[in-house]
Amino acid sequence: MKKLALSMIALAMFVQSAALGEEKITVKGSDTMVILAQRWAEKYMATHQDVVVQVTGGGSGTGISALINGSTDICNASRPMKRSEIDKLKQRYGTRGVEIKSALDGLSVYVNAEGPIQELSLGQLKDIYTGKITNWREVGGPNAKIIVYGRENNSGTYVYFKDNVLLGEDFTAAMQTMPGTAAVVNAVGKDKSGIGYGGAAYGKGIRELKVKKDASAAGYAPTLENIKSGDYPISRYLYMYVRNRPTGALKGFIDWILSEEGQKIVTEVGYFPIR
Amino acid sequence: MRGALFTLVAVCAIAHPPTGAQERTGTRELTDPQEQAGAQEVAGNQEQSGAQEIAGDQEQAATKGELEEVKGAVQGLSESAMEYRGFVDALRKIKVSGYVQTQWRSTDLMNTAYPIGNFSGGQFGGNVKNVFQVRRGRVKVTYDNVITQFVVQIDAIQTGVVLKDAYLSVTEPWTNSFGLQAGVFDRPFGYEISYSSSSRETPERSRVYQTLFPGERELGAKVFYAPQSGPLSFLRADVGVFNGSGPSANDYDSNKDLIGHIAAQIPLGDMNAALDVGVSGYVGSVRNNTKYLYTMGALANGSPGFVVDSVGTNVSAPVGRTYVGVDAQVYLDVPSIGGAIVRGEYVAGKQPGTSSSTTSPSTQPATGIYRREFSGFYVYYVQNLGDRNQIVVKYDAYDPNTKVAAADFQSGNTVGAGGLTVTDIKFSTLGFGLVHYWDDNVKFMLYYEIVSNEELTGITGASSSLSPYVDNARDNVLTFRTQYRF
Repeated sequence: MKKLALSMIALAMFVQSAALGEEKITVKGSDTMVILAQRWAEKYMATHQDVVVQVTGGGSGTGISALINGSTDICNASRPMKRSEIDKLKQRYGTRGVEIKSALDGLSVYVNAEGPIQELSLGQLKDIYTGKITNWREVGGPNAKIIVYGRENNSGTYVYFKDNVLLGEDFTAAMQTMPGTAAVVNAVGKDKSGIGYGGAAYGKGIRELKVKKDASAAGYAPTLENIKSGDYPISRYLYMYVRNRPTGALKGFIDWILSEEGQKIVTEVGYFPIR
Repeated sequence: MRGALFTLVAVCAIAHPPTGAQERTGTRELTDPQEQAGAQEVAGNQEQSGAQEIAGDQEQAATKGELEEVKGAVQGLSESAMEYRGFVDALRKIKVSGYVQTQWRSTDLMNTAYPIGNFSGGQFGGNVKNVFQVRRGRVKVTYDNVITQFVVQIDAIQTGVVLKDAYLSVTEPWTNSFGLQAGVFDRPFGYEISYSSSSRETPERSRVYQTLFPGERELGAKVFYAPQSGPLSFLRADVGVFNGSGPSANDYDSNKDLIGHIAAQIPLGDMNAALDVGVSGYVGSVRNNTKYLYTMGALANGSPGFVVDSVGTNVSAPVGRTYVGVDAQVYLDVPSIGGAIVRGEYVAGKQPGTSSSTTSPSTQPATGIYRREFSGFYVYYVQNLGDRNQIVVKYDAYDPNTKVAAADFQSGNTVGAGGLTVTDIKFSTLGFGLVHYWDDNVKFMLYYEIVSNEELTGITGASSSLSPYVDNARDNVLTFRTQYRF
């Protein structure tokens, strides 16, 4: 009976949305981008009553899987699609997928605001996250064990950090994995010996370190200027992927995201516009 | 709880005032009633203040203790959560996937003389024109530790359970490009072999691949080069050494077969299109258990047929098994319709077999070896119609003996050990179908295959095994398949 009632409600909603001529766009993927995507959706729907945009997170890998199995229209990803993922898309849909760069992100490295460390080199970060450096004293800090926080392996942030900072090496087994970047920030904010990484949008209330390309280079903070100039060494694009070249409502939404108005939201959320 | 503790502390403090306060108020005798009253008031205030102060201290101490308790509890929970997280992380490495394919098949004519054989979904029974089947029932377990993988896959169908895959894979951590795979797994040749049956738009692989690589898999080890980034990330190369006797048999000789495939992926501009190409090679052998080795030549009557070489050194000698292949796949995004795929593959070479089969032997052939030169190819066209539907057209052909044409089959060269047989007939299959993806898991397929053979117009006599092929045999097959994949 309950099932019947639910079915009737679903049918009524379908009929209603069909009658209203609503276009539904589903967006799934990167947790790093979920707040940005929600803001895009809210703003867009406010001026486009005929379009419903549904946003969920789950991680870049989850979003890409959803794109491949057809359960989302847009996949948000904080990393490029892997070759194996493109292969699956090609096999199923006959397309490579369309990659759209929607924002720039400086991947921030956080420490507790009470700690003395202001900057680290990429080499030091690699050694910390692979477990070769385990005490803050080794990088100019107090004699205290470094507590390493990071993301789960289905996260694009995890993959990006592993590929670009750890150069493919494995994270230390001592790393405490967190379900989202906000959780990493929260943990580091409460842990004087903590260090974590994540998107700039989540970096409020804790210190974002300057990062040096090598020991002798100058350190740069993850600012728009430094990221755009390429001085800040851990920056990345935030992507949207669709299966086919977009048309109709999907194209309208993507074009709007890339417009001045959509890119303004990028800045408001704390990321960096691509143009 | 916290409020109750505060009340308890305050009551205790008033009921048992500390002696220090009494001592301080009793040091001078006061006579003026006002002074006395004032003194009493002060004493009372001091007493009250002191009691409150102590009560406050005790409250703080109690609160602190309570906070410590809460902190301890939170830490305990946090540790438990970390343990569970570790447990969940470990579980995440274990992936279970699978699919089941059930189907109904129908053929044109009930007659086992028309050898559908293992093609088009398998031989029909003697009195059967249509049949329900569980074509595949796969369960695959993968333990994925990023650069190392463990994989086991079984196939459970109505006739039993067989092992399909069992291998380990290790990728070196420095460049993440080179790796080793060992066990039983797909042979690295061409494209269609490793294209999963759960993804394929047609019920079965091409006849040429079903013949040359039955079961697709093989026992052995391979190395691969598959850079994930950098200028060579468009390349993939696999080369391995295998038993050469198929996926489920023990090897019957010490000779091992070398198989390799190199592929390149080329994106085509901004059209959301791509071209993938590959070349393959196979160098191996089949042991001859006798001194008889048959190859194509001219019979005594001048007709083409098998000529025997029967020198004693042929016993136990390896008979060469060599293939070369090329494959290409084109992907093109057709706006507002969906992606289109064109796949093609061509393979040719020399295949050791018997007089009655060109299927790669999984056991030691007891009779002499017949080595034929063969060729085969296929072409698919798949058009997506939106995200849920596909139409597919496929044509494939397999010529097991390129040295003979249909007109060469005559009564004089189709008898005896050197004679041509059904095995030497060329077959082609034109198939077309519809595929509908019901949801993320369920897929429906309707597919019709028009199977054509060379028409052996030179054959006379109804008793010949070749008689059914004087005309095109009525062995077309209709398949309706449902698939659930998770």
